[in-house]
Amino acid sequence: MIRLVRPYLTHPLVAVGGAVTLLWLVLALFAPLLAPFDPLKTILPLARPLTPAPGGGTLWLGTDMLGRDILSRLIYGARTVVLYSTLATLSAYAVGIALGLSAGYLRGRVDAALSFLANVVLSFPVLVLYIVIIVVIGASPLNIILAVVFSSAPAIFRIVRALTIDIATRDFVQVARTQGEGSLRIMLVDILPNATGPLAVDFCLRLGYTAITIGTLGFLGLGLPPPTPDWGTMVNEGKAMAIAFPHLVIFPCIAISSLMLGLSLLADGLKELSEAKGRGA
Amino acid sequence: MPLILFILRKAGQALATMLAVSLLVFLALEVNVDDVAVKVLGQFSTAEQRAAWLEANGYNAPFLWRYFDWLVSFVSGDWGMSTYYRAPITDLIPDRLAATAWLALGALSLIVPFGLGLGVLAGMRPGSLTDRVVSVLSVVTTSIPDFASAVFLSIVFVFWLGLLPGASTMIGGFSLKELVLPVLVLALYSTGYLARITRASMAEVMATPYIRTARLKGASLPRIVFRHALRNALITPITVILLQVPWLLSGVIVVEVFYAYKGFGTLLYEAAINSDIYLIEACAMVSVLVVVTTQILSDLAYGLLNPRVNLLGAPKPAKGDAA
Amino acid sequence: MTTQTPSSDTAILTIDGLTVALPRGADRRHAVKGASLDLFPREILCVVGESGSGKSVLSAALMGAVPKGLAIESGRILLQGKDLALASERELTRIRGRDIAMIFQEPMSALNPALTVGEQIEEMFVLHTDLAAEARRARTRALVEAMHLPDPDRILASYPHELSGGQCQRVVIAMALALDPKVLIADEPTTALDVTTQAQVLKLIRELKDSHGHGILFITHDFGVVADIADRIAVMRGGEIVEIGTAQQVLTQPAHDYTRALIAAVPSLTPRAPRAARTAEPVLEISNLEHHYGRTKALNDISLTLRRGEVVSIVGESGSGKSTLAKAAIRLIDPTGGAISVSGTPFLALKGGALRQKRRLIQMVFQDPVGSLNPRRTVGEMIARAAILSGASRAEAIRRAEDLLDLVGLQKSAYHRRPAAFSGGQRQRVGIARALAMHPEVLIADESVSALDVSVQAQVLELLKSLQEKLNLGILFITHDLRVAAQISDEIVVMHKGRIVEKGPAEAVLLAPKDAYTRSLIDAAPGRGSI
Repeated sequence: MIRLVRPYLTHPLVAVGGAVTLLWLVLALFAPLLAPFDPLKTILPLARPLTPAPGGGTLWLGTDMLGRDILSRLIYGARTVVLYSTLATLSAYAVGIALGLSAGYLRGRVDAALSFLANVVLSFPVLVLYIVIIVVIGASPLNIILAVVFSSAPAIFRIVRALTIDIATRDFVQVARTQGEGSLRIMLVDILPNATGPLAVDFCLRLGYTAITIGTLGFLGLGLPPPTPDWGTMVNEGKAMAIAFPHLVIFPCIAISSLMLGLSLLADGLKELSEAKGRGA
Repeated sequence: MPLILFILRKAGQALATMLAVSLLVFLALEVNVDDVAVKVLGQFSTAEQRAAWLEANGYNAPFLWRYFDWLVSFVSGDWGMSTYYRAPITDLIPDRLAATAWLALGALSLIVPFGLGLGVLAGMRPGSLTDRVVSVLSVVTTSIPDFASAVFLSIVFVFWLGLLPGASTMIGGFSLKELVLPVLVLALYSTGYLARITRASMAEVMATPYIRTARLKGASLPRIVFRHALRNALITPITVILLQVPWLLSGVIVVEVFYAYKGFGTLLYEAAINSDIYLIEACAMVSVLVVVTTQILSDLAYGLLNPRVNLLGAPKPAKGDAA
Repeated sequence: MTTQTPSSDTAILTIDGLTVALPRGADRRHAVKGASLDLFPREILCVVGESGSGKSVLSAALMGAVPKGLAIESGRILLQGKDLALASERELTRIRGRDIAMIFQEPMSALNPALTVGEQIEEMFVLHTDLAAEARRARTRALVEAMHLPDPDRILASYPHELSGGQCQRVVIAMALALDPKVLIADEPTTALDVTTQAQVLKLIRELKDSHGHGILFITHDFGVVADIADRIAVMRGGEIVEIGTAQQVLTQPAHDYTRALIAAVPSLTPRAPRAARTAEPVLEISNLEHHYGRTKALNDISLTLRRGEVVSIVGESGSGKSTLAKAAIRLIDPTGGAISVSGTPFLALKGGALRQKRRLIQMVFQDPVGSLNPRRTVGEMIARAAILSGASRAEAIRRAEDLLDLVGLQKSAYHRRPAAFSGGQRQRVGIARALAMHPEVLIADESVSALDVSVQAQVLELLKSLQEKLNLGILFITHDLRVAAQISDEIVVMHKGRIVEKGPAEAVLLAPKDAYTRSLIDAAPGRGSI
């Protein structure tokens, strides 16, 4: 087991990217223990960073215009971002993998129909699609997850389909067919496990992009309804006063950028490792 | 002529996509007629007013009939009235689209030279210092969301240095200064992305047997890069540039809203928050049209750049083994 | 074939104690260790070795282009008194192409897809001469003509993908010879080509040596080719040159055990001894099989019979339709016409579940030992799964898998390991065990030994023969290699362009071929007469 994990831990990109991602994961999981203040409580309006709090403690990153501690809101915001991005991305993957495997392995009419549908959805610029969906179904946590599934699943579908078509030409899949193996088992045992390398890379990136999308919707005022702390919404609320009080917006921006950076590095590292493994074999 | 056939086939596919998109958009926004009435007449309209309006505007007809009717008027140039701006939509869109085109052109004029240039420099010698610097830069720029880079750049150039204005309303007429920040923000992500793609493509080509052949023929590195590698390495990046246009269309919404720039992005955004459904429909259709067009251009560019795809219909030498 | 040592000349290329280090963590420390040899003008020196012998690294080192991660540790490479191991990149750039040139294994990928063939040959003159454009083009055209390429003007204007493999290789040779280099390095130049094309290219290389007097260092794994072309032979193993001598010496009185083993492993063209009368019942009957890909006819009126306990070989070059035939027989493709019966079952008429049930009757061992095993599953799981699919219970399947591992000569511990832990030959044994786990009536071996080194190839062939006798299997053996077919077949079927041109008992086809194409195949087999 240690031998299996070791190359991942010693790879610099994976180590750094993984550490950053893990940091946000821990903050999200243990937010109530780690946040210095209640994220919804008014303490002192528009305090600059490093101001001492009236009731003791320090407002490390200052407060927003309603007097709520920004650091605590960032930590609780990590919960929202991590929870919804992960749920949404996983759901999108479930749909994308199921459809991509079937289209790529069965081909024919199923493939033609699904590929056309995917093309249709993918011909919307991403944000335009989100905006239309949110206007129609409204912004609620469930709806945001649905919107992510609707707009990401076609892209995942395309990747899985291409991988499936490629793997299906390999001899071991032909062997399974000549042994009389059923289609479902071929897809799940012979094809999917051999596609996990590129899919893991894509998952990391897509998780980050989902976080960014949720943030962007928040920034546009189309995100999760208040008072849920959410990084994009924090930027939206603070942007009118950003010139006078840059701390309102700069910290949530750093938060989301660092999360995405962590995931990108992780993805790059995983890619390099799997390519090195491919060469070694 | 394979070229004409190719374009016709692609245009046919694009048309089918547009039809499906129009059905999807219409289905999403107008399948529920009561919703339509509320959105057009406002929250405070009475039930009788809504019923009368629905009757007067043909909303009691079956869905498919209404869709067909809508499609015909859409194609013939009647895009309806914006309920928020109280003006014909066909009057609103061209100016806004032109304003956005300036942003996009500005961004592309940075993305293309820097993205391609840095990517080629990095991919020429994989593992070199240049390669590492470019790779780090491109990971960082592709990790910052548009709204965050808008915040970062504004804080540096507006708040600290005081060099540039923080809004791009262009109230006092066209101003180049006001264009700088939105263009920079828009270009940042795509430049990094293009550099990444170009680097990967270049590095891949530099590792091919035919580059080895060129080296073993006694060609120098500059000659290898310019004569042997570039033509093969740039095929993918050039198609990617065209496919970045849809991405720019997404970025444009964020950037225009951030800088209060009166372009296509703010138009769509305002339509969305004001439930201006006819305007949303029109904007969605226009943006999909832009995407579909760039896809055709990208396929065309690929066909023209790749000698294995014979689009110009040059006479093909017949295959046959040596005697 | 000349046998005298060309001692009258002085060496044009001398390798002296060349050692190339592998990166740390590789399975051995040196790719090439203390290699020394002289190359004289007007000779072909063959460097022979199996995969991993270091022969390709040696040839790359001569061009000053060792792969990334490898480094020349010590030794000298003297080209006309100049040590290439010490030369700067700038000096090498001048020498490469002009004094020492190279031809490659994969001619298609060695040419730039975005430039015409003419531009690529002409570049040699641009790089190394001051000739005017007109003169350059004239010489380019002359070169192409000298390569016996038809319609030179058309060839010059073509892109590489518009030419065949053999044509591309001639273009690469033309390019290498453009400036009359003193030394030509040929790295497996005919391995990717069909036998008849290979014979033509070998003939061309011999002619060029005689007319221009180059010294040619010819890297190959194929002793047949060596026997055809070598003046002298160097044998490499594990990075070291174990034996060097004239072709006559090495081929007829090899001094080193390894050389002897290599030569002994080369399958002979003499057919195996005819066996008892062939009267067993047929297990595979193919009648009037047809298959079209679009407008091309890949299979045209194919009929043949395979009896229990018999080996029938299908021999043909690429494009002959032999692989399509194999795929049709196991129903990976549905042929457009004709009939196939497996043990009396009309196989082409089966559909869905009925087909899946009967698939166990006919099984296949694939060509590629890497691609035919799922890298994510253990060897035991794969073999046991095959047994389960043929109706065995879980416990029975595990027992059968263990027995089969033993039968194909693998250890019990192999059960729990993944394919990556095995060599090519071992993986092919796993593939055979998996096919046998279904208790098939017919086994198809599609180029199953082609990707293996000769010594391993001989072992796997031996295994197939013994299994066939032990289990009384019917084997349909698909191959491009007449020598291999000769070793194993009772009957040989020769295919050409989708048709059967000749079939009959192995000794009849090999010793008294009736068809012209069969004769040309036999004539083209490298090393015929000497090995």
